[in-house]
Amino acid sequence: MTNHKVGTHDEWLAARLPLLDAEKAHSRRGDELTKGRQELPWVPIDKEYRFDTDEGPASLSDLFRGHSQLLAYHFMLGPEYQAGCPACSAIADGFNGFVVHLANHDVSLCAVSLAPLAKLQTYKQRMGWSFPWASSQDSDFNYDFHASITEEQQQSGAVDYNFRTTDWRPDPNADDGPNASPVGTDLGTYSRQMPGMSSFALEDGVVYHTYSTYARGLDALWGAYQWLDRAPLGRNESDFWWRRHDEYEAIEKENDVQSPDRNA
Amino acid sequence: MSSHRIGTREEWLTAAAELLSCEKELTRLGDELARQRRELPWVQVEKEYVLQTADGARTLSELFDGRTQLVVYHFMFGPHYEGGCPACSSTADSFNGVLAHLKACDVTMICVSRAPIDKLLDYRERMGWSFNWVSSNESDFNFDYGVSAGEGMTHDASAPLLESNEIALLTLLNEQPAVRDTLPLVTSQNANATGTSVDGYFSEGHGVSTFALEGDAVYHCYSSYARGTEALMGYYAILDRAPKGRDEGDQPMSWVRRHDEYDNE
Repeated sequence: MTNHKVGTHDEWLAARLPLLDAEKAHSRRGDELTKGRQELPWVPIDKEYRFDTDEGPASLSDLFRGHSQLLAYHFMLGPEYQAGCPACSAIADGFNGFVVHLANHDVSLCAVSLAPLAKLQTYKQRMGWSFPWASSQDSDFNYDFHASITEEQQQSGAVDYNFRTTDWRPDPNADDGPNASPVGTDLGTYSRQMPGMSSFALEDGVVYHTYSTYARGLDALWGAYQWLDRAPLGRNESDFWWRRHDEYEAIEKENDVQSPDRNA
Repeated sequence: MSSHRIGTREEWLTAAAELLSCEKELTRLGDELARQRRELPWVQVEKEYVLQTADGARTLSELFDGRTQLVVYHFMFGPHYEGGCPACSSTADSFNGVLAHLKACDVTMICVSRAPIDKLLDYRERMGWSFNWVSSNESDFNFDYGVSAGEGMTHDASAPLLESNEIALLTLLNEQPAVRDTLPLVTSQNANATGTSVDGYFSEGHGVSTFALEGDAVYHCYSSYARGTEALMGYYAILDRAPKGRDEGDQPMSWVRRHDEYDNE
Protein backbone atom coordinates (compact mmCIF):
# COMPACT_ATOMS: atom_id res chain seq x y z
CA MET A 1 0.00 0.00 0.00
CA THR A 2 1.22 3.47 -0.77
CA ASN A 3 1.75 6.34 1.67
CA HIS A 4 0.50 8.72 -0.97
CA LYS A 5 -3.03 10.05 -0.61
CA VAL A 6 -5.35 7.57 -2.38
CA GLY A 7 -8.81 8.47 -3.66
CA THR A 8 -11.69 7.39 -5.84
CA HIS A 9 -11.92 8.43 -9.45
CA ASP A 10 -14.51 11.06 -8.49
CA GLU A 11 -12.22 12.48 -5.83
CA TRP A 12 -9.38 12.56 -8.33
CA LEU A 13 -11.57 14.35 -10.87
CA ALA A 14 -12.74 16.87 -8.28
CA ALA A 15 -9.09 17.74 -7.62
CA ARG A 16 -8.05 17.51 -11.26
CA LEU A 17 -10.58 19.99 -12.67
CA PRO A 18 -9.43 23.07 -10.70
CA LEU A 19 -5.84 22.12 -11.54
CA LEU A 20 -6.85 21.99 -15.20
CA ASP A 21 -8.14 25.55 -14.94
CA ALA A 22 -4.83 26.61 -13.42
CA GLU A 23 -2.94 24.77 -16.20
CA LYS A 24 -5.01 26.57 -18.83
CA ALA A 25 -4.31 29.93 -17.19
CA HIS A 26 -0.60 29.03 -17.23
CA SER A 27 -0.75 28.18 -20.97
CA ARG A 28 -2.46 31.49 -21.72
CA ARG A 29 0.00 33.46 -19.62
CA GLY A 30 2.71 31.68 -21.64
CA ASP A 31 1.03 32.88 -24.85
CA GLU A 32 1.12 36.45 -23.52
CA LEU A 33 4.84 36.20 -22.81
CA THR A 34 5.45 34.82 -26.31
CA LYS A 35 3.70 37.91 -27.62
CA GLY A 36 5.86 40.03 -25.31
CA ARG A 37 9.01 38.42 -26.72
CA GLN A 38 7.93 39.24 -30.26
CA GLU A 39 7.37 42.85 -29.24
CA LEU A 40 10.94 43.35 -28.03
CA PRO A 41 12.79 45.86 -30.19
CA TRP A 42 15.16 44.27 -32.70
CA VAL A 43 18.78 45.35 -32.41
CA PRO A 44 20.76 45.48 -35.68
CA ILE A 45 24.05 43.60 -35.51
CA ASP A 46 26.80 45.80 -36.88
CA LYS A 47 29.73 43.50 -36.07
CA GLU A 48 31.14 40.84 -38.39
CA TYR A 49 31.14 37.46 -36.66
CA ARG A 50 33.01 34.54 -38.22
CA PHE A 51 32.21 30.91 -37.53
CA ASP A 52 33.61 27.55 -38.59
CA THR A 53 30.98 25.10 -39.79
CA ASP A 54 30.86 21.73 -41.52
CA GLU A 55 30.44 23.69 -44.76
CA GLY A 56 33.44 25.95 -44.10
CA PRO A 57 33.83 29.50 -42.76
CA ALA A 58 30.48 31.24 -42.25
CA SER A 59 29.06 34.63 -41.29
CA LEU A 60 26.18 35.05 -38.86
CA SER A 61 23.77 35.44 -41.79
CA ASP A 62 25.10 32.19 -43.30
CA LEU A 63 23.93 30.36 -40.15
CA PHE A 64 20.32 31.19 -41.15
CA ARG A 65 20.76 28.61 -43.94
CA GLY A 66 18.25 30.35 -46.18
CA HIS A 67 15.65 30.93 -43.45
CA SER A 68 14.57 34.27 -41.99
CA GLN A 69 15.06 33.23 -38.36
CA LEU A 70 18.02 31.79 -36.47
CA LEU A 71 18.04 30.26 -33.00
CA ALA A 72 21.57 29.89 -31.66
CA TYR A 73 21.82 27.42 -28.79
CA HIS A 74 24.81 28.40 -26.66
CA PHE A 75 26.16 24.90 -26.06
CA MET A 76 28.80 24.73 -23.32
CA LEU A 77 31.82 23.21 -24.98
CA GLY A 78 34.89 25.35 -24.38
CA PRO A 79 38.29 24.87 -26.02
CA GLU A 80 39.63 23.09 -22.92
CA TYR A 81 36.64 20.77 -22.46
CA GLN A 82 37.19 17.05 -23.05
CA ALA A 83 33.47 16.61 -23.91
CA GLY A 84 30.28 18.67 -24.06
CA CYS A 85 28.36 19.75 -20.96
CA PRO A 86 25.97 16.94 -19.89
CA ALA A 87 23.05 19.30 -19.23
CA CYS A 88 23.41 20.94 -22.65
CA SER A 89 23.68 17.42 -24.07
CA ALA A 90 20.37 16.45 -22.45
CA ILE A 91 18.73 19.53 -23.98
CA ALA A 92 20.28 18.71 -27.37
CA ASP A 93 18.89 15.15 -27.15
CA GLY A 94 15.49 16.82 -27.35
CA PHE A 95 16.05 19.36 -30.12
CA ASN A 96 18.05 16.96 -32.27
CA GLY A 97 14.75 15.20 -32.99
CA PHE A 98 12.78 18.27 -34.03
CA VAL A 99 15.26 20.53 -35.86
CA VAL A 100 13.78 19.10 -39.07
CA HIS A 101 10.38 20.56 -38.17
CA LEU A 102 11.90 23.98 -37.45
CA ALA A 103 13.90 23.88 -40.70
CA ASN A 104 10.59 23.43 -42.51
CA HIS A 105 9.06 26.37 -40.68
CA ASP A 106 11.58 29.05 -41.68
CA VAL A 107 13.73 28.59 -38.55
CA SER A 108 17.36 27.50 -38.48
CA LEU A 109 18.46 26.02 -35.17
CA CYS A 110 22.22 25.96 -34.79
CA ALA A 111 24.33 25.12 -31.74
CA VAL A 112 27.29 27.44 -31.22
CA SER A 113 30.30 26.73 -28.99
CA LEU A 114 33.74 28.18 -28.39
CA ALA A 115 35.71 24.95 -28.95
CA PRO A 116 37.35 24.36 -32.34
CA LEU A 117 35.10 22.76 -34.95
CA ALA A 118 36.94 19.41 -34.93
CA LYS A 119 36.12 18.98 -31.24
CA LEU A 120 32.44 19.75 -31.86
CA GLN A 121 32.33 17.28 -34.75
CA THR A 122 33.90 14.49 -32.69
CA TYR A 123 31.45 14.98 -29.84
CA LYS A 124 28.48 15.29 -32.18
CA GLN A 125 29.41 12.01 -33.80
CA ARG A 126 29.74 10.31 -30.40
CA MET A 127 26.26 11.56 -29.45
CA GLY A 128 24.71 10.64 -32.79
CA TRP A 129 23.30 14.11 -33.44
CA SER A 130 22.64 15.74 -36.79
CA PHE A 131 21.84 19.42 -36.01
CA PRO A 132 24.21 22.11 -37.36
CA TRP A 133 26.93 23.11 -34.89
CA ALA A 134 29.22 26.08 -35.43
CA SER A 135 32.46 27.02 -33.70
CA SER A 136 32.82 30.67 -32.68
CA GLN A 137 36.44 30.11 -31.69
CA ASP A 138 37.81 33.07 -33.61
CA SER A 139 34.98 35.48 -32.93
CA ASP A 140 33.52 37.63 -30.15
CA PHE A 141 30.11 36.02 -30.61
CA ASN A 142 30.07 33.93 -27.43
CA TYR A 143 31.41 36.81 -25.34
CA ASP A 144 29.00 39.38 -26.79
CA PHE A 145 26.00 37.15 -26.13
CA HIS A 146 27.09 36.24 -22.59
CA ALA A 147 27.78 32.57 -23.27
CA SER A 148 31.53 32.70 -22.57
CA ILE A 149 33.76 34.75 -20.32
CA THR A 150 37.51 35.21 -20.25
CA GLU A 151 39.54 34.13 -17.23
CA GLU A 152 40.13 37.82 -16.52
CA GLN A 153 36.40 38.59 -16.53
CA GLN A 154 35.80 35.61 -14.25
CA GLN A 155 38.45 36.73 -11.78
CA SER A 156 37.03 40.28 -11.69
CA GLY A 157 34.12 38.92 -9.65
CA ALA A 158 31.58 40.79 -11.79
CA VAL A 159 30.20 38.88 -14.76
CA ASP A 160 27.13 39.81 -16.79
CA TYR A 161 24.96 36.69 -17.14
CA ASN A 162 21.21 36.34 -17.33
CA PHE A 163 20.72 40.12 -17.28
CA ARG A 164 22.51 40.74 -14.01
CA THR A 165 26.01 41.06 -12.62
CA THR A 166 27.14 37.98 -10.74
CA ASP A 167 30.32 36.81 -9.03
CA TRP A 168 31.24 33.90 -11.27
CA ARG A 169 34.39 32.80 -9.46
CA PRO A 170 34.31 29.10 -8.53
CA ASP A 171 33.62 28.30 -4.89
CA PRO A 172 37.09 28.04 -3.28
CA ASN A 173 35.79 25.27 -1.03
CA ALA A 174 34.59 23.16 -3.95
CA ASP A 175 36.64 20.18 -5.08
CA ASP A 176 38.72 21.95 -7.70
CA GLY A 177 41.07 19.16 -8.69
CA PRO A 178 41.55 18.22 -12.32
CA ASN A 179 38.53 16.40 -13.77
CA ALA A 180 36.35 17.71 -10.95
CA SER A 181 33.82 18.98 -13.44
CA PRO A 182 31.74 16.82 -15.77
CA VAL A 183 33.74 17.96 -18.78
CA GLY A 184 37.23 17.00 -17.68
CA THR A 185 38.50 20.44 -16.68
CA ASP A 186 38.79 22.23 -13.35
CA LEU A 187 35.60 23.95 -12.19
CA GLY A 188 36.88 27.42 -13.00
CA THR A 189 37.48 26.50 -16.64
CA TYR A 190 34.16 24.64 -16.85
CA SER A 191 32.21 27.65 -15.61
CA ARG A 192 33.70 30.04 -18.17
CA GLN A 193 31.10 28.70 -20.61
CA MET A 194 27.42 29.37 -19.87
CA PRO A 195 24.21 27.98 -21.33
CA GLY A 196 21.66 30.06 -23.19
CA MET A 197 19.80 30.63 -26.41
CA SER A 198 19.78 33.72 -28.63
CA SER A 199 17.33 34.49 -31.43
CA PHE A 200 18.04 36.45 -34.59
CA ALA A 201 16.05 37.68 -37.56
CA LEU A 202 17.35 38.34 -41.08
CA GLU A 203 15.68 41.00 -43.21
CA ASP A 204 17.09 42.56 -46.39
CA GLY A 205 20.58 41.40 -45.57
CA VAL A 206 20.52 42.87 -42.06
CA VAL A 207 20.75 40.55 -39.03
CA TYR A 208 18.88 41.61 -35.90
CA HIS A 209 19.23 40.24 -32.39
CA THR A 210 15.71 39.72 -31.06
CA TYR A 211 15.89 37.69 -27.85
CA SER A 212 18.16 35.82 -25.45
CA THR A 213 17.44 33.52 -22.56
CA TYR A 214 19.67 31.88 -19.98
CA ALA A 215 19.64 29.65 -16.90
CA ARG A 216 16.13 28.42 -16.09
CA GLY A 217 14.88 30.24 -19.16
CA LEU A 218 16.00 27.05 -20.92
CA ASP A 219 13.78 24.81 -18.77
CA ALA A 220 11.04 24.81 -21.40
CA LEU A 221 13.55 23.48 -23.97
CA TRP A 222 14.67 20.68 -21.68
CA GLY A 223 12.29 17.94 -22.81
CA ALA A 224 12.99 15.53 -19.96
CA TYR A 225 12.02 18.17 -17.39
CA GLN A 226 8.70 18.85 -19.08
CA TRP A 227 7.89 15.14 -18.80
CA LEU A 228 9.13 14.88 -15.22
CA ASP A 229 6.92 17.85 -14.25
CA ARG A 230 4.01 15.53 -15.10
CA ALA A 231 5.41 12.31 -13.60
CA PRO A 232 4.09 11.02 -10.25
CA LEU A 233 7.25 11.99 -8.36
CA GLY A 234 8.09 15.12 -10.37
CA ARG A 235 11.73 16.11 -10.87
CA ASN A 236 12.64 14.19 -7.74
CA GLU A 237 16.19 15.52 -7.64
CA SER A 238 18.55 16.63 -4.91
CA ASP A 239 21.64 17.05 -7.04
CA PHE A 240 22.80 16.85 -10.65
CA TRP A 241 21.51 13.45 -11.80
CA TRP A 242 21.80 13.76 -15.54
CA ARG A 243 24.54 12.15 -17.59
CA ARG A 244 25.26 11.93 -21.29
CA HIS A 245 22.80 9.51 -22.86
CA ASP A 246 25.55 6.96 -23.58
CA GLU A 247 26.81 6.98 -19.97
CA TYR A 248 23.78 5.78 -18.03
CA GLU A 249 24.29 2.13 -18.87
CA ALA A 250 27.90 2.15 -17.65
CA ILE A 251 26.75 3.75 -14.39
CA GLU A 252 24.05 1.11 -13.92
CA LYS A 253 26.60 -1.67 -14.49
CA GLU A 254 29.02 -0.01 -12.08
CA ASN A 255 26.31 0.14 -9.42
CA ASP A 256 25.52 -3.55 -10.01
CA VAL A 257 29.16 -4.44 -9.52
CA GLN A 258 29.50 -2.24 -6.47
CA SER A 259 26.43 -3.30 -4.55
CA PRO A 260 27.60 -6.86 -3.66
CA ASP A 261 30.80 -5.33 -2.29
CA ARG A 262 28.84 -2.93 -0.16
CA ASN A 263 26.76 -5.78 1.20
CA ALA A 264 29.76 -7.97 1.89
CA MET B 1 14.77 47.88 -43.65
CA SER B 2 12.67 45.93 -41.22
CA SER B 3 9.11 46.99 -40.46
CA HIS B 4 9.63 45.65 -36.95
CA ARG B 5 10.43 48.14 -34.19
CA ILE B 6 14.20 48.66 -34.14
CA GLY B 7 15.97 49.65 -30.97
CA THR B 8 19.36 50.26 -29.42
CA ARG B 9 21.07 47.66 -27.24
CA GLU B 10 20.05 49.72 -24.16
CA GLU B 11 16.39 49.85 -25.20
CA TRP B 12 16.39 46.13 -25.81
CA LEU B 13 18.04 45.44 -22.42
CA THR B 14 15.44 47.50 -20.58
CA ALA B 15 12.56 45.69 -22.32
CA ALA B 16 14.19 42.24 -22.01
CA ALA B 17 14.83 42.70 -18.28
CA GLU B 18 11.19 43.59 -17.75
CA LEU B 19 10.11 40.53 -19.71
CA LEU B 20 12.56 38.39 -17.74
CA SER B 21 10.79 39.11 -14.48
CA CYS B 22 7.51 37.92 -16.06
CA GLU B 23 9.27 34.82 -17.41
CA LYS B 24 10.61 33.99 -13.96
CA GLU B 25 7.14 34.40 -12.52
CA LEU B 26 5.77 31.99 -15.14
CA THR B 27 8.54 29.45 -14.41
CA ARG B 28 7.68 29.56 -10.70
CA LEU B 29 3.99 29.22 -11.45
CA GLY B 30 4.93 26.14 -13.51
CA ASP B 31 6.81 24.73 -10.51
CA GLU B 32 3.73 25.31 -8.38
CA LEU B 33 1.52 23.45 -10.89
CA ALA B 34 3.99 20.55 -10.92
CA ARG B 35 3.68 20.44 -7.13
CA GLN B 36 -0.11 20.43 -7.35
CA ARG B 37 0.00 17.56 -9.86
CA ARG B 38 1.98 15.51 -7.35
CA GLU B 39 -0.66 16.25 -4.70
CA LEU B 40 -3.54 14.75 -6.70
CA PRO B 41 -4.94 11.65 -5.02
CA TRP B 42 -3.80 8.43 -6.68
CA VAL B 43 -6.56 6.13 -7.92
CA GLN B 44 -5.88 2.42 -7.74
CA VAL B 45 -6.30 0.74 -11.13
CA GLU B 46 -8.59 -2.23 -10.42
CA LYS B 47 -8.94 -3.46 -13.96
CA GLU B 48 -6.35 -5.87 -15.33
CA TYR B 49 -5.25 -4.39 -18.64
CA VAL B 50 -3.35 -6.67 -20.99
CA LEU B 51 -1.57 -4.87 -23.79
CA GLN B 52 0.38 -6.17 -26.76
CA THR B 53 4.08 -5.34 -27.09
CA ALA B 54 6.85 -6.32 -29.51
CA ASP B 55 7.73 -9.03 -26.98
CA GLY B 56 4.20 -10.35 -26.45
CA ALA B 57 1.32 -9.61 -24.05
CA ARG B 58 2.08 -7.53 -20.95
CA THR B 59 0.01 -6.29 -18.02
CA LEU B 60 0.08 -2.61 -17.13
CA SER B 61 2.35 -3.30 -14.13
CA GLU B 62 4.80 -5.23 -16.31
CA LEU B 63 5.08 -2.21 -18.59
CA PHE B 64 6.79 -0.28 -15.76
CA ASP B 65 9.83 -2.38 -16.75
CA GLY B 66 11.30 -2.43 -13.23
CA ARG B 67 10.73 1.25 -12.49
CA THR B 68 8.16 2.82 -10.16
CA GLN B 69 6.69 5.37 -12.57
CA LEU B 70 5.08 4.88 -15.96
CA VAL B 71 4.32 7.74 -18.32
CA VAL B 72 2.03 6.93 -21.23
CA TYR B 73 1.78 9.10 -24.31
CA HIS B 74 -1.59 8.40 -25.95
CA PHE B 75 -0.46 8.36 -29.58
CA MET B 76 -3.30 8.72 -32.12
CA PHE B 77 -3.09 5.61 -34.25
CA GLY B 78 -6.45 3.88 -34.58
CA PRO B 79 -7.02 0.40 -35.99
CA HIS B 80 -8.13 1.90 -39.32
CA TYR B 81 -5.35 4.48 -39.64
CA GLU B 82 -2.82 3.79 -42.38
CA GLY B 83 -0.12 5.75 -40.55
CA GLY B 84 0.34 7.51 -37.22
CA CYS B 85 -1.03 11.01 -36.64
CA PRO B 86 1.51 13.57 -37.99
CA ALA B 87 1.08 15.86 -34.95
CA CYS B 88 1.69 12.96 -32.53
CA SER B 89 4.64 11.97 -34.73
CA SER B 90 6.19 15.41 -34.34
CA THR B 91 5.66 15.13 -30.57
CA ALA B 92 7.39 11.73 -30.64
CA ASP B 93 10.31 13.32 -32.52
CA SER B 94 10.69 15.58 -29.47
CA PHE B 95 10.67 12.82 -26.85
CA ASN B 96 12.33 9.86 -28.55
CA GLY B 97 15.76 11.33 -27.72
CA VAL B 98 15.16 12.00 -24.03
CA LEU B 99 13.99 8.56 -22.84
CA ALA B 100 17.40 7.62 -21.38
CA HIS B 101 17.19 10.64 -19.09
CA LEU B 102 13.70 9.71 -17.91
CA LYS B 103 14.83 6.16 -17.17
CA ALA B 104 17.60 7.59 -15.01
CA CYS B 105 14.84 9.30 -13.01
CA ASP B 106 12.96 6.05 -12.44
CA VAL B 107 10.44 6.83 -15.19
CA THR B 108 9.52 4.43 -18.00
CA MET B 109 7.92 6.21 -20.90
CA ILE B 110 5.88 4.36 -23.50
CA CYS B 111 3.35 5.09 -26.22
CA VAL B 112 -0.01 3.35 -26.33
CA SER B 113 -2.29 3.24 -29.40
CA ARG B 114 -5.28 1.19 -30.46
CA ALA B 115 -3.93 -0.04 -33.81
CA PRO B 116 -2.66 -3.64 -33.85
CA ILE B 117 0.93 -4.05 -32.68
CA ASP B 118 2.33 -4.94 -36.14
CA LYS B 119 1.05 -1.68 -37.58
CA LEU B 120 2.65 0.29 -34.75
CA LEU B 121 5.99 -1.47 -35.11
CA ASP B 122 6.09 -0.95 -38.89
CA TYR B 123 5.45 2.74 -38.46
CA ARG B 124 7.98 2.99 -35.63
CA GLU B 125 10.62 1.49 -37.90
CA ARG B 126 9.75 3.91 -40.69
CA MET B 127 10.15 6.85 -38.27
CA GLY B 128 13.36 5.52 -36.71
CA TRP B 129 12.10 5.68 -33.11
CA SER B 130 13.11 3.41 -30.26
CA PHE B 131 10.45 3.92 -27.55
CA ASN B 132 8.33 0.98 -26.44
CA TRP B 133 5.08 1.20 -28.41
CA VAL B 134 2.21 -0.84 -27.06
CA SER B 135 -1.13 -1.78 -28.59
CA SER B 136 -4.35 -1.56 -26.58
CA ASN B 137 -6.21 -3.13 -29.49
CA GLU B 138 -7.81 -5.85 -27.37
CA SER B 139 -8.14 -3.85 -24.18
CA ASP B 140 -10.40 -1.15 -22.69
CA PHE B 141 -7.39 0.94 -21.81
CA ASN B 142 -7.86 3.66 -24.46
CA PHE B 143 -11.61 3.93 -23.80
CA ASP B 144 -11.14 4.17 -20.04
CA TYR B 145 -8.56 6.96 -20.38
CA GLY B 146 -10.70 9.01 -22.74
CA VAL B 147 -8.62 8.65 -25.90
CA SER B 148 -10.71 6.33 -28.08
CA ALA B 149 -14.34 6.39 -29.16
CA GLY B 150 -16.22 3.48 -30.64
CA GLU B 151 -18.40 0.51 -30.09
CA GLY B 152 -16.03 -0.91 -27.51
CA MET B 153 -16.55 2.14 -25.30
CA THR B 154 -17.10 0.83 -21.80
CA HIS B 155 -17.03 3.79 -19.47
CA ASP B 156 -20.31 4.98 -18.03
CA ALA B 157 -21.35 7.94 -20.18
CA SER B 158 -23.11 9.57 -17.22
CA ALA B 159 -19.91 9.61 -15.19
CA PRO B 160 -17.89 12.76 -15.84
CA LEU B 161 -14.56 11.77 -17.29
CA LEU B 162 -11.72 13.85 -18.58
CA GLU B 163 -11.41 13.05 -22.23
CA SER B 164 -9.28 14.17 -25.10
CA ASN B 165 -10.42 17.13 -27.17
CA GLU B 166 -10.62 14.90 -30.25
CA ILE B 167 -13.16 12.54 -28.65
CA ALA B 168 -15.12 15.52 -27.31
CA LEU B 169 -15.11 17.03 -30.80
CA LEU B 170 -16.38 13.81 -32.34
CA THR B 171 -19.41 13.96 -30.05
CA LEU B 172 -19.91 17.60 -30.95
CA LEU B 173 -19.71 16.86 -34.69
CA ASN B 174 -22.51 14.34 -34.33
CA GLU B 175 -24.68 16.71 -32.30
CA GLN B 176 -23.95 19.90 -34.26
CA PRO B 177 -23.01 19.13 -37.89
CA ALA B 178 -22.39 22.85 -38.54
CA VAL B 179 -19.23 22.59 -36.45
CA ARG B 180 -17.78 20.54 -39.30
CA ASP B 181 -17.36 23.71 -41.40
CA THR B 182 -15.36 25.44 -38.71
CA LEU B 183 -12.69 22.79 -38.26
CA PRO B 184 -9.13 23.99 -38.77
CA LEU B 185 -7.21 22.91 -41.86
CA VAL B 186 -5.01 20.56 -39.85
CA THR B 187 -8.00 18.30 -39.22
CA SER B 188 -8.63 17.31 -42.83
CA GLN B 189 -4.90 17.33 -43.48
CA ASN B 190 -4.22 14.83 -40.71
CA ALA B 191 -7.27 12.76 -41.63
CA ASN B 192 -5.84 12.48 -45.17
CA ALA B 193 -2.37 11.72 -43.88
CA THR B 194 -3.69 8.86 -41.76
CA GLY B 195 -5.90 7.53 -44.55
CA THR B 196 -9.13 8.15 -42.62
CA SER B 197 -12.08 10.53 -42.66
CA VAL B 198 -12.38 13.40 -40.18
CA ASP B 199 -14.66 11.21 -38.04
CA GLY B 200 -12.31 8.29 -38.36
CA TYR B 201 -9.37 10.47 -37.37
CA PHE B 202 -11.26 11.78 -34.31
CA SER B 203 -12.03 8.25 -33.12
CA GLU B 204 -8.63 8.55 -31.40
CA GLY B 205 -7.34 11.29 -29.12
CA HIS B 206 -3.95 12.38 -27.86
CA GLY B 207 -2.92 12.92 -24.27
CA VAL B 208 -0.62 11.85 -21.50
CA SER B 209 -1.40 9.67 -18.48
CA THR B 210 0.89 8.76 -15.63
CA PHE B 211 0.90 5.80 -13.26
CA ALA B 212 2.77 4.75 -10.12
CA LEU B 213 3.59 1.22 -9.00
CA GLU B 214 3.89 0.37 -5.32
CA GLY B 215 4.00 -3.24 -4.29
CA ASP B 216 1.59 -4.97 -6.63
CA ALA B 217 -0.73 -2.01 -6.92
CA VAL B 218 -0.85 0.30 -9.93
CA TYR B 219 -2.22 3.81 -9.36
CA HIS B 220 -3.42 6.32 -11.92
CA CYS B 221 -1.90 9.69 -10.98
CA TYR B 222 -2.48 12.22 -13.75
CA SER B 223 -3.94 12.70 -17.23
CA SER B 224 -3.84 15.67 -19.56
CA TYR B 225 -5.16 16.34 -23.05
CA ALA B 226 -5.38 19.04 -25.73
CA ARG B 227 -2.93 21.89 -25.02
CA GLY B 228 -1.92 20.05 -21.86
CA THR B 229 0.67 18.18 -23.94
CA GLU B 230 2.03 21.28 -25.62
CA ALA B 231 4.98 21.56 -23.23
CA LEU B 232 6.05 18.13 -24.52
CA MET B 233 6.15 19.34 -28.13
CA GLY B 234 9.68 20.70 -27.97
CA TYR B 235 9.45 22.74 -31.17
CA TYR B 236 6.64 24.89 -29.78
CA ALA B 237 8.65 25.81 -26.69
CA ILE B 238 11.51 26.89 -28.91
CA LEU B 239 9.31 28.63 -31.51
CA ASP B 240 7.82 30.65 -28.66
CA ARG B 241 11.30 32.20 -28.42
CA ALA B 242 11.84 32.74 -32.15
CA PRO B 243 11.45 36.23 -33.71
CA LYS B 244 8.13 35.32 -35.35
CA GLY B 245 6.86 32.95 -32.68
CA ARG B 246 4.75 30.03 -33.88
CA ASP B 247 4.04 31.94 -37.08
CA GLU B 248 1.08 29.81 -38.09
CA GLY B 249 -1.62 32.45 -38.49
CA ASP B 250 -5.07 31.10 -37.76
CA GLN B 251 -4.17 27.56 -38.90
CA PRO B 252 -2.32 25.97 -35.99
CA MET B 253 -0.13 22.97 -36.84
CA SER B 254 -1.03 23.04 -40.53
CA TRP B 255 2.68 23.27 -41.38
CA VAL B 256 3.61 20.08 -39.50
CA ARG B 257 4.38 16.97 -41.56
CA ARG B 258 5.97 13.67 -40.69
CA HIS B 259 9.72 14.24 -40.55
CA ASP B 260 10.29 12.15 -43.70
CA GLU B 261 7.56 13.93 -45.68
CA TYR B 262 8.86 17.50 -45.87
CA ASP B 263 9.83 18.59 -49.37
CA ASN B 264 13.50 19.29 -49.37
CA GLU B 265 13.22 22.16 -51.79
